[in-house]
Amino acid sequence: MYYEKLNRLFSPNAIAVIGASDSFDKLGYHVMKSLVKGNCRQPIYPVNPNAQTIWGIKAYPSIMDISDPVDLAVIVVPARRVPEALKECGKKGINGVVIITAGYKEIEGEEGKILEEEIKSIAEAFEIPIIGPNTFGFVNITDGVNASFTYEFSLIKNGGVTLISQSGGFCHLCGFLAMEERMGMAKLMSLGNRVNVDFPEAVKYFLEEDEATKVIALYIEGIENPRALFETIKSAKKKKPVIAYKAGRSEKGDAASRFHTGTLAGNYRIWKGALRQAGILEVNSSEELIDTAKVLDICPFMKESRVAVLSSQAGPGMIASDTIESLGLKLSTFSDKTQENINHLLPPFAIRTNPVDMGPAWYSPETILNILKVVAEDENTDGIIFIAIFASANLNLLADMEKIIKDMEPFNKPVIACFNAPHGVWDDNIKHIDGKKGIAIIHTPERAARAMANLYKISLSVS
Amino acid sequence: MEDLLLGIEALEFLKKEGFPILESRITISEETAASYAKDIGFPVTLKVSSKTIIHKTELNGVKPFLLNEKEVRSAFNELVHTFNTLGRTKDINGIIVQEMGKGLEFIVGVYVDSQFGHTIMFGQGGIYVEAIKDVSFRPIPIARKDAKEMIQELDAWKIITSPRQKRINPVMIEDFLLKISDFVETHKNVEEMDINPVFVSEKISICDARIKIGPKNK
Repeated sequence: MYYEKLNRLFSPNAIAVIGASDSFDKLGYHVMKSLVKGNCRQPIYPVNPNAQTIWGIKAYPSIMDISDPVDLAVIVVPARRVPEALKECGKKGINGVVIITAGYKEIEGEEGKILEEEIKSIAEAFEIPIIGPNTFGFVNITDGVNASFTYEFSLIKNGGVTLISQSGGFCHLCGFLAMEERMGMAKLMSLGNRVNVDFPEAVKYFLEEDEATKVIALYIEGIENPRALFETIKSAKKKKPVIAYKAGRSEKGDAASRFHTGTLAGNYRIWKGALRQAGILEVNSSEELIDTAKVLDICPFMKESRVAVLSSQAGPGMIASDTIESLGLKLSTFSDKTQENINHLLPPFAIRTNPVDMGPAWYSPETILNILKVVAEDENTDGIIFIAIFASANLNLLADMEKIIKDMEPFNKPVIACFNAPHGVWDDNIKHIDGKKGIAIIHTPERAARAMANLYKISLSVS
Repeated sequence: MEDLLLGIEALEFLKKEGFPILESRITISEETAASYAKDIGFPVTLKVSSKTIIHKTELNGVKPFLLNEKEVRSAFNELVHTFNTLGRTKDINGIIVQEMGKGLEFIVGVYVDSQFGHTIMFGQGGIYVEAIKDVSFRPIPIARKDAKEMIQELDAWKIITSPRQKRINPVMIEDFLLKISDFVETHKNVEEMDINPVFVSEKISICDARIKIGPKNK
């Protein structure tokens, strides 16, 4: 029942915006914009007693005046009016609510806390799951429902990564990084004050119920009962890769303790151990979160840790190799057959063993992709980093590769590519190749290597 | 009622729970100390036993590497003299004669975190624990995989696996950590514990420990 309601919350058949507005300085304006301009295909019902229409759509004085059923209500009215609005949602039979309004337990003073308790008890009485309060909302990229106050999230590519965050700001940061790095997302949300949908509930839903979610990324600042989250993941009926970025990394232990253990028991030290214990991969930056999640979404798992580096320029290949080894992966040694095939394709002008310098072939996209193909079939290789950096003379390299890749079979091993060029040169080709045939394009060789290392770690725990 | 077990009491408690401890006996006489040392076998360590002194080394309360009866007797008298001079004789309830520990020194700890509840710590032990900070934590209970990873996460893993260090079998440390985890599961009233140092060579032996025990019904 609960998860059916979450289903209706995240994939609603009709949406009401309580506090919808036509004036730019109201959040109700921006939520309407997200839904309307985000091409929401479901009926939208603006609720505002002082308007006939909002965003050109017929407005209703109260949610009770809407005669058709509504699954989701997004509430943006001032904090004190939220309990009444929520009660009406309950009477209307709404399945789920997003409360964007802030001013609850996160602010100083008692009033906010009292209001939040009131919201909690109304939600309990009507059995309504709530995202928030104090959230930017959520975005369902899969179904094109942008129930947030930032329309631009609708421009994120459709894919398999779901971000569950404790911060709206972090969602904005990652959402925009996702656009820049062409990461495909299924859903993103900030849980806000987590009045009744907390990490365990959200993670369980996206692990077990949401088919579109392939990878779950968490941003955690601090939660009251972390064990509940880990138990949820452990007992979930489906296994999916879960990665986490933990902020608030105080090393400070228990100052009152006269024991070594207590003095060293900094909250972050315990979190680190607990995440690993739960099989959650910890990442240490926003970029690492994006790169890792993207690769997990696109690429197959690795059997072992042997990596081949194929680079059209020696230097970037060397950087990738260095990073590979520093992160505990190995450079693969090609089988005799593979090496023979490479020797056949490449003249002996550069290093042909791993890391392969494909420099002599950089005018020939066919040759480069043939090398990629034979290395992908190499029995001693579990993953490939594939690098091509722009120079004026190889202007058409990516366009030509794109044509060939279109007709290739998907790779059954991870291929992480770095294609770097000035803006406007390879952009379209990069966009078209990224995510196809198991190829994930990552910004730099070092980041590609780190994403590969993380893919390997997850391969060990999930597959 | 909260109880703090130190020194011989803590060791006896852990021994009763089936943990391996260095052979230790307490006495207040030089004569008995000498005869205990002979029983235990040289070399031995002498240290002061106290309910109140937590850091014995800082007060010169530990005399290691005593090779014969003569050294034991003179160490005994030195300890008595030291604590007389400090005016802390009343803090001392005896002198412990202990089998000399061998191998690498580690710390195994237990701490109750406000969010995670009981946690276990493993790390490089000795008196510089807080300077080195080479430790790993896990919420209790732990599985063998966790124990293995806790050991591998330490810088000391490089020492454990060094080709010059052939005596240590990591599985033995894993077993010890699992046993501590099990012990805490059945003794939830253990609120904090330092087993430090625990000596690891071809065997594991607890050298010293302090344990904070909370109310039974917790």
